[in-house]
Amino acid sequence: MHPRSESTQFDLFVRGEIPSALAGSLLTTASRRNKERTLFSRWHDSQADLIRLDLVPGKPGRIRAFFLSVDPYWKIPQPQRRPPFYATQPNHGLNAKSDKLWATNLLFGAPLEIDIPSWKPRRLLRRIVPDCESPQISSTSHFAWSPDQRYAYYHQSLLNQSDELVRAKDIAIVRIDCETGSERMWKLLPPSEDSDPCGANFHSAFCYEEYGRKFIGLLRTGAILESLKPHMPVTEHEVVPMTASTIWIAELKEESSELQATLLPGIRELGGLALSHLDIDATGGDGFVLYANYKQADVAEETHGINIYGEHPSEVSEHYSGMTVEALNFGLVLRYEKRSAKTSIRTFNRPYQPGRTSQGHSWLPINIQLDSQRKRLFCSFSGFRPRLLPQHIAKAYPDVAVDPQRIRYVPPLLMRFEAETLVPDYDKSRTYLSYTEPMAFCVAGDASKDYICTFSTETGLRIYLADDLSRVICHAVSPLLMNWRDSHFRPDPAHLVFSQTQ
Amino acid sequence: MALRRPSVEGPDFFDFVRQANDLTQKLEASSWDFDKVPEVFAKDAAADVVAKEIVHIHDGKTMTRFGRLVMGGVGRQFNLMGPIPPNASLRISYRGVLEEVNRQLKSKGLSDLPEFRKLGKTQDVEFYNYEIFYTTRDLIFWLILHDAGSFPSSLEVMVRHIAAGNIVQSNRYAPTKPSKDLGKPTLMSATGLMVQFPTPVVEWMDKPIYGGLAKDTIHVETLLTTKPTEVSHPYLTLKREGKLTLDNRKYYYRRFMGVTPKDGLRGPHISAEKPANRF
Repeated sequence: MHPRSESTQFDLFVRGEIPSALAGSLLTTASRRNKERTLFSRWHDSQADLIRLDLVPGKPGRIRAFFLSVDPYWKIPQPQRRPPFYATQPNHGLNAKSDKLWATNLLFGAPLEIDIPSWKPRRLLRRIVPDCESPQISSTSHFAWSPDQRYAYYHQSLLNQSDELVRAKDIAIVRIDCETGSERMWKLLPPSEDSDPCGANFHSAFCYEEYGRKFIGLLRTGAILESLKPHMPVTEHEVVPMTASTIWIAELKEESSELQATLLPGIRELGGLALSHLDIDATGGDGFVLYANYKQADVAEETHGINIYGEHPSEVSEHYSGMTVEALNFGLVLRYEKRSAKTSIRTFNRPYQPGRTSQGHSWLPINIQLDSQRKRLFCSFSGFRPRLLPQHIAKAYPDVAVDPQRIRYVPPLLMRFEAETLVPDYDKSRTYLSYTEPMAFCVAGDASKDYICTFSTETGLRIYLADDLSRVICHAVSPLLMNWRDSHFRPDPAHLVFSQTQ
Repeated sequence: MALRRPSVEGPDFFDFVRQANDLTQKLEASSWDFDKVPEVFAKDAAADVVAKEIVHIHDGKTMTRFGRLVMGGVGRQFNLMGPIPPNASLRISYRGVLEEVNRQLKSKGLSDLPEFRKLGKTQDVEFYNYEIFYTTRDLIFWLILHDAGSFPSSLEVMVRHIAAGNIVQSNRYAPTKPSKDLGKPTLMSATGLMVQFPTPVVEWMDKPIYGGLAKDTIHVETLLTTKPTEVSHPYLTLKREGKLTLDNRKYYYRRFMGVTPKDGLRGPHISAEKPANRF
């Protein structure tokens, strides 16, 4: 781990045109890893490097990258440091508003607030302080936003290791007033029918209003951690299967210090695993349309050990330090509409058919975002690398895990859907899909035109018209994006957000 | 890819071209879904880049690559395809750049790596019939005409490069002693491929896609720059760095070596993509 927060900057080489609507910054997170495949680190844990790309429109325009390397114990006094339980490792989620960015881990630690213009860390959002019994905390990776965007909400809880499992304790909801900077906290009481503290972790959250009342929704992944510490030694072990994901709903009451959560009906019944990312249409103040995805992956586990073909890691050169976990089978995209008296559920799930690539697939959905008109939905799917699915994880899910003899490589995919129907936005020219695309993308632009920006440190930045994913209008690269000295950034960044603060 | 119909000649030429054109049109009309035109699926594909020794020279304005590629294959003739920027020039150049770099580094190039030494003898081959494809249609037509076929997931990689404004170049090569045995593919070594294009930054090559034979690629890659640099390889570790002289010009060098996995790998004994698979 690097001991300080430091920054570097350099220009990218731009081919094509940066549209005027993209004057601003793209923000993303990267995980610094050793290139030696013999070393192991779990996917949550890495030196986090935050990247800001400043876009100056033109043909070719200019893109300048700013790196911020984050100290995981930033401003934490020495006596409070309890390795390996870092205070922050913001290598995953990005929550931006005005000149502030709150960057988060997949699961562990506190969000880090960064001042976007100066690209410097400002403070830790650690409302709950770990102790000896509960040495780590968990926070929502992707915050909820009030419909007027004034308030940001996230959950925070302690994590403690009791017997063979990790349990959440003291679950709280924190609200940030983005106008005044003030904060308040509520204690969150779990739904009576979903009160097991194992698996009470929430990757994303959303807000909506109904009949003048305000609500928060929390996507409970159902991931059950066996250990707070990284596995030592790294070997096959018994896996406690995840439970089906649920969504907790709580009414936000100013006068109360506690919020009682209930279950959103129909979600647990779908039986999906790792409900993780979302976008929401909460306009109108009469409910919401939620778009979310199920990974169908045991996100509490780590990719290590013998794979589903019986191959030892030393025989599998795809192994790298800090691997994300592979899906057990193809995932699912959900459209949940709750407006006035109407509730409806639509889903999209599809295997990969090599002979019918125009149909797309739903293997390991990652990003999900509506366009500015909320008419179209964009989703990225990571695909499948069969040799990276560990045997001991697959064994825990005999009814879900894919048949190793019937599966091959599934390429990554970015696809556009009709938001209303959740049907791929088919056309003969295949403008609605793009295979082998990086997972991190965002919809950006102005009211007149939307653009899709995709990014990985290796591929660089690609910009498309949202209407046409078959033609790149701008591509920008730099070898300095790929490495920090002789380490590299793996896995690829998961998320990308657009910010107009400059 | 192995070319099952390396040449089209005589009176059959017209028919082969027409047939390839018809199938290409049918595939395009079917949104490039191979199930509608199953003839396009590659059959018994077994050809891969096994090892590559590359010298990348970047002078601040231009990227120049000199390469020695070692390919494995089962068949009589093959083609090697890859994306390049449309303003790149591609030629065969026997300037001895690799040899000179190795001489100054007191290196045996690929033979420094035990993984390469294990492979055994290679046959020297030359690249010929360089071709350029500007569209997916051009590319598929050529692959059908030569009965090489394609795989949907591999084609998508090329489609994405074309979408980004790159072109796809193809070179043919043929061993003097071909192999018919999957367990004992011919190892072919081609030196002298040179690619040059203007760019103010170092640009690395994409990872090779798995072609059914070699799951990994063995690399020796040396970056030469006119100024000191911290540029590192996306996957390979830095083994040594220093200064050397080439054509009376001084360069800073960084050498990266190792083994990387191909893209698109599948499990052992699992067949390649074929019609009506569903997973």
